[in-house]
Amino acid sequence: MAIAWQAPERRYRTYLQVRSLLTMLFFAVLIGIGYATGIYPQEVVPIWVAAVIWLAFTLFFSLFFAARRFQFTAWARSNEGMHLKRGALFRKIRAVPLNRIQHVEFKQSALERLFKIARLAMYTAGSGGADLTIPGLEPELAMQLKAELLTTIVSEPDEADATTHG
Amino acid sequence: MAELNWQRTPLITIAFFLLKQLKQLVSNFSNLVPVFAAIFVGGKNSIWIPIALVSVYVLWVIVSAILNQRFFLYAIDDDAVHVRSGVFNRQHLTLKYERIQQAEVHEAWYFRPFKLTILSVDSAGAAGKEVQIPGLTMALATELRQRMLAQTIKPATEQASSSSEPEVDLQKSFPTSEIIRAGIIDNKLFVLLAVLAYPLSQLDLLEDYVVPWVEANLGWLNTEQAWLLTAAAVVGVLALLFVAAIVVSLLTYHDLTLTLHGDRFQARSGALSIRTLSFRYPKLQAVFVRRNLRARLLKRASVRVSQLRPVTAQAGGQAGGQQFHLPVVDDSFLHEFRGRLRLPEAGQVHWQRLSNLALLGPSLWLAVLFPIVAAILYFAAETGVWGLLGSVALWLIIQTLVVLSWRNYGYSFVTSSTTPREQWFVVKRGIFSRNENWYPRHKVQQIDVVQGPWLRLLGFSHLLLYTAAGAESIRYLPTEQAQQLQLDWVSEIGQQHRRWM
Repeated sequence: MAIAWQAPERRYRTYLQVRSLLTMLFFAVLIGIGYATGIYPQEVVPIWVAAVIWLAFTLFFSLFFAARRFQFTAWARSNEGMHLKRGALFRKIRAVPLNRIQHVEFKQSALERLFKIARLAMYTAGSGGADLTIPGLEPELAMQLKAELLTTIVSEPDEADATTHG
Repeated sequence: MAELNWQRTPLITIAFFLLKQLKQLVSNFSNLVPVFAAIFVGGKNSIWIPIALVSVYVLWVIVSAILNQRFFLYAIDDDAVHVRSGVFNRQHLTLKYERIQQAEVHEAWYFRPFKLTILSVDSAGAAGKEVQIPGLTMALATELRQRMLAQTIKPATEQASSSSEPEVDLQKSFPTSEIIRAGIIDNKLFVLLAVLAYPLSQLDLLEDYVVPWVEANLGWLNTEQAWLLTAAAVVGVLALLFVAAIVVSLLTYHDLTLTLHGDRFQARSGALSIRTLSFRYPKLQAVFVRRNLRARLLKRASVRVSQLRPVTAQAGGQAGGQQFHLPVVDDSFLHEFRGRLRLPEAGQVHWQRLSNLALLGPSLWLAVLFPIVAAILYFAAETGVWGLLGSVALWLIIQTLVVLSWRNYGYSFVTSSTTPREQWFVVKRGIFSRNENWYPRHKVQQIDVVQGPWLRLLGFSHLLLYTAAGAESIRYLPTEQAQQLQLDWVSEIGQQHRRWM
């Protein structure tokens, strides 16, 4: 059986790019403060070298890496499980059987709200953090998925009925 | 809901709260070291500061133990147990019987003269709570535990038959000779030696302290005899520690008795504090069969059964302490016990090896690393031929260990022929030891296929299986096979509607 993979919203790509841009801006500010206060070791690494390196990193992460990451992110819901594919360099395909999901969480950060996308996090028993987080979902779709999953979990055949008493 | 009948624990339970405080102090000791250091440095001239602090602390421990006992209240309801505790931060905890994972009766040594016990209760879930109610009478504690566990098994109608003393299917007592073997197998001395080996080797203890002392005090001996004496003393101390470790095992596992009724397994042991460890078959998450070098020489094995436990309890140092554990089983009983756990016969398992590729990575690293080490030793440290020979020998040893661990690794998917049939996923590993980890296949919670850039070039992937009792990986599977296995299992597990925690 092949899995019907679904790509996240296209806005997710812009979101990833903006996020990496913000991270790079943070570094730029750090370097800038260092330069302004004179902590920056100008004799060791001239400021223009740092600027060129920064630019290269920014272009690489914001244009190439984020796009590639978006390209390989996909999720799928089969009858029995949730699947998620991600990673640009280190690929990871994760699968969680639906009847092992303990609870579901709808998540949306401020930046994600700006891009009108949301995440859906699924948890299994006994583990610390979220086990499967689907990024870049249309908020309405995420809510709908969440409701669907919850009804699936609730309507699982009762354990006691299925257990063979012996 | 009926009015709750709040009860206070007997006065003697102050001892329980005192010990709890002391345990906390021991586990937090490393955090307090800077404080001690500060006191030590700051209070150099005034000896009374540390003394005052210690006495204030002792006073505080005693007072807070008494207060804790005064403020600890519990109530037993028809469907739940309520606990109220805390002096300043009041806590009110309600534990429904149906949510209780585990309930154990612990007869601590300081309660035994008073015929009192401690009941510890675990609930399910990631942020699980553990509650201990001290100072219950044996009869009340056992009855409560029966009630709690009976609730979790089946609906009320079927309770009558199971909550009254069920008949015993199998009972096995372990004689003292076996317990001594357990002491040898699980000897803490070896752990201690491994931990101490490094600092001792750095200290030059023998050179700096022992030899001068012997020379100064035992001048009538010549040096040769002094060496003999030190060697004898070291061997003597080691032998003493070895025996002491066996005595500890004898105390903890004294009178170890295993009882089985239905799907309930219980092990009871102890000379001073009697503890009972138990689990119910449906809650089993993993079976670990351990056989280290000593165990192989003695032809014994140890078995651990793990079930879902609160994360907090796992993180605490006593993770292994509460697990169901048989420290020593011989081959014939292991065979029977495996049957009871619905594990397949040893002959049914078709072990599969990892691909040869699994050897490539570590071997490559070693092949790069050791010439560098040899070159440094030869040119920079100027150790000459010995440095070269030494590094070659070390390389050979480590490479052999890598090959051995690859050779002894195996995994398999087996269905047992017991009734009811059970499907398992098993991994064996070990260089000198033989360890097998068994996981019920339908309890796998999450399956990953991961692939780094190098593996992608080769067309291979790692398969990672997560269960509530830990994760296992099958490395270097062809990518297609890994993805197919992932799909097959998810649909297989997704269609299983059996109880799993």
